[in-house]
Order: sequence, then C-alpha cells, then structure tokens
Amino acid sequence: MEDVLTETPPPSRFFREDLDNFASPPPSLPPPLVLLNPNSSSDHLRPPLLIIALSAPSLAVLHRIPHKVLIGALILPEIPLAGNSLEPSARDRSCYVYAGESQVLVSVQLPVADERARAVAKSLLGGIQAERVLILDSIRSQNYRGRLAVDETLAFKLETVEERNAEQHLVRGLDYFPSGSVMDGLGAAIIAECQMRRAKGTLVATWPASARSAEMTMFGSLLNDLGFPISESDGNDDFVAGYSGSSRYDSDLYT
Amino acid sequence: MEFALEEGRHLSADCPVLLLPGLSIGNVGQLAVDLLISSTAAKRVGFLDAPFLLPCVGNDAYGPEPSGLLSLPLELLKSINGRSVDVCTDPSSYLPFTVYESTQHALTLIQQRSPVVKGMMVEFSKEMADFVSSIGKKHIVILSSLDSGRLKKIVASSDMQVYYISSVNSDGTDAECERLGFKRLEEYDSTQRRWAYLNELAEGKLVQDDEINLEEELVDDDYYPGLPFAALLSCCKAKGLKVTCLLCYCSEGDNIPDSFQLADAACKLLKLTPDKLSGDANAQGGWIVPLSWKTVYGPPPDMSLF
Repeated sequence: MEDVLTETPPPSRFFREDLDNFASPPPSLPPPLVLLNPNSSSDHLRPPLLIIALSAPSLAVLHRIPHKVLIGALILPEIPLAGNSLEPSARDRSCYVYAGESQVLVSVQLPVADERARAVAKSLLGGIQAERVLILDSIRSQNYRGRLAVDETLAFKLETVEERNAEQHLVRGLDYFPSGSVMDGLGAAIIAECQMRRAKGTLVATWPASARSAEMTMFGSLLNDLGFPISESDGNDDFVAGYSGSSRYDSDLYT
Repeated sequence: MEFALEEGRHLSADCPVLLLPGLSIGNVGQLAVDLLISSTAAKRVGFLDAPFLLPCVGNDAYGPEPSGLLSLPLELLKSINGRSVDVCTDPSSYLPFTVYESTQHALTLIQQRSPVVKGMMVEFSKEMADFVSSIGKKHIVILSSLDSGRLKKIVASSDMQVYYISSVNSDGTDAECERLGFKRLEEYDSTQRRWAYLNELAEGKLVQDDEINLEEELVDDDYYPGLPFAALLSCCKAKGLKVTCLLCYCSEGDNIPDSFQLADAACKLLKLTPDKLSGDANAQGGWIVPLSWKTVYGPPPDMSLF
C-alpha cells in the first residue's frame, strides 16, 4: 500500500520548491538540432503530412512501415548516444526522421524532459514545415480524470482550431479527449506549437501506453487509412525503445 | 513571450483590468479564474506561448459540452453580452496559457494551466509584466492563496477573511480594499530582505545569480516573497502598473469553496455583481461551474467494491 505521506501528489498539487521564486534556475542547454540530409527534396522539408510517434505502440507500428528512408535525426545534446547502433534501430535511444512516399515520419525514441519539450517542438516544426501534423501519444494515468482499466483500450484526439475547422478531418471516428483531463510532455508541446503557428495538428492519445496488440491494431488501422502499408510484426515489438514513460529500459545502466 | 490572436478576435482597448492567477497551494487562484471565465462567458481572444511554462493541452474546460477545440497552458478570453451562443457551441480545447476578455464587464482574464519551470518564476513574471503592459492594461488583479499553516493568529473568521496587497501605497495599503472589508497582509514589508531582493530583480537592478545570502536561515516571513504571486506583483509594479493581490488562506483538499470566496472578492473589487455575471437565470447565485470541474478531483469511487 502506498504511503500517503510520501507518495507522489496528484498533478494539480505543487511541491513547495516548485513555487519558490528563489529556486536556482536550471542549467541552460544548447538548443536541439534537427539534422536533415542536405540532398533531401523540398517535399521532405514541407511535406503534406508529418507523423510524430511518441508512444510505444505507435513506435512499434511506425517501424513496421516498409520502404521508409532515413533522412535525418533530431539531436538532444544532453542525451548520450552511447549504446546506439551504427544503423538506425528501433532499440536506439534516438530520434529518427524518415521519408515515406509523400509524408515524413519521426520516431521519438528518447526521453524528452518536460522542460525541454517546447524547444524540441519548435526545432522539429521549424525544420519540417508540414501542412498537417499528426502526433501519436499515450495517456498518462496521473493526468486522466476518468477511469482507466488496464485491460481496456481507449483512444481520443485533440485538434488545433485550424484542423477542427477543416472541411475534412485527418483523424475520424475518435472522440475528443475528455474535458478536465490533460496531456503533457512532448506531445502537448508539439500540438501547442502547431496551434501557435496556426497549423493543422491532431494529437491521438491512447491507453494503455504499452505496445499491446490492441493499441497497435488501432494505430495500424489509423495509418492504413492514411495510406501506409504496415508489415507483419517480427515479434520484436516489445523491444521498441518508446520513451513514453512505459519503457523498462529507461536507465543509463543499460547503455 | 509570444501571443497569437485567435482568428476573428481582437484585444479591446475598453478592458483596462486584467485578472490572472498566481500559482499557489490548492490551485485556488486558477480555480477562481476558471469560475470567472465560465460565469462571465468570457471568450478566448488568443494564446500565449511562454518559454518557461511546462506544456499541457486539453479539451474545452468550460462547456457546457466538451466539444474539442484545443486549449493551451496560457490563454486570454473575453465575454460579449453575457452568455453567448457562440460560447456554447464553439468547440474549444485549451493550451497552458490562454487570454480571455469580457467586454461587457471590461475585463480581460488570463488562465494559466501548467506550472512554471522551477527557478524561472521571476523571468516568467517579467515576461508577463512586459506583455500585459504592451497590450495597454492598467490594473492587474492577481488571485492567489496562502498556506493556512502559516497563519500566526487563528480567529473564528480567519477562513473567511480575504487579504490583499496593493501597489497604491508603499506599505501595500489601499483605501478601497479596506472599505471592501479586505485586510492588508500584515506580513508584507517591502523593506524585508527577500521582498527587497525580489523588487530589485524585477526592476532589473540585479540578476538572479547576484549575491544575496539566501542560505541564511529562513524566517517565517520569507515564505510570502517566495510565492509566485509576489514575483508577479513585483514585476508588474516595476512596469508602473497598478496591482492588487487578493489572497486567502487555505489547506490542500477540496479547494472549490476557497475559489468561490476568492472569485467573489474579485467581483467586489471590480464592482461586479455575481448574480448578474452571466445573465443565465438558471445559474446558482450567478456562478456557472466550469464543465471541467465535474472531474477536478478524479472519478467517483468504484461502487462495485461495495
């Protein structure tokens, strides 16, 4: 049983140091860097659709899209590259940018601190200026004000004003995220940046966050509807890095 | 700090007063602003993007139905002629910082939904003060709360008393606030070391790394200048704005009653009548509870246990 004195408070509550005007500021970090192949076509810099996979199930499905071409990466200076393979791998602690037939796909396989999320969002959307952005994320239980059963699959969406007002929505058939609950982290930062840029953006959030077949089927179906063929699983989906808070390998001990 | 106006909206020059929350125990300031936005039918005017704000997004917090437009952490809104049909049907999600206006009540509100990066509160407050000054606001009202564990003297009416600090006089007093029955926060002393340091940071005379021995043993009165409302107060004062902080003591728990108390105090200060805020005859006492409050403390208990 959790100790009520020491357990993490719900997110609406603050630790005292969070509210201290005189707390030391964090060390400043160099900005994130988006490196793209200089031979990339302009279609890759301004694609009709940019898909950003953040959650474990979405990363697992993204890596099963065949014929995608690696065109770049996003580098966070504070994340060591030790342990990554020479060839891009779903198990790397990295952020890869791929080109599909006419879309650009980003697999975010590294942990992004909330304090860095805004900078990462600005770098990504500044480097790849898509007409439409689709973010695939997962619901965090501490931010959700309804019931979350571990054996139940849920999926919701949030859209920018511009996407909401478009004649045809990119993602159909999903309910909107319930009022009163929030999404935070990199997914929230990206769609917020989409809104500030008045771009069409959609955030799809699923539960649970692990790469189970039900969620992967949902994402596979979503990407199929958008024109992506999805290969059969090679049985290694559980080993996708997927730093959405659910990875068992989120530790420097394993590099 | 970047500001993006919503399409078709504009900032009104007829709304000289701006209300915003100071993050605090129980989130009372934020809850009070939620209540005021919902009850004045304030419409969103635009979004603010602050570099030191943690990201969060959600669906429309005000309702009456969750219709799906995005809300950001910092937003600005306004209300037009009471409860507008547009507000009922206009789907809205939120971002961490949103700006709302109520032209009927000559009121602009900023709602902040997510915390500031630790250690950046003064920088955030400077940017906020720069922004509100740039859009022509004259009177800033900050709603916040204090830990009731800090009360030095507990009297029967302690829980109901609203405290204030004003920029009108150097000692924090304001005759208008006194007339309304608010009590000046006795612990406010602009010459006290941490208040003085905060003022110098706000005026740009010092930067946060400059030498001040903050490692000295903390005394009780060091609590107040360390709170976010104090940074906002100091930075807005430094820009020459009139600032009134309205504060109430509370403990963490169900802070909705505290938010009603603080919102009511704001209405008194701004000469608004809660009964007539929305023009909705069905509203209880004039207040309209935001849709998001249905689950503010999570879902109801699982009755299948019983």
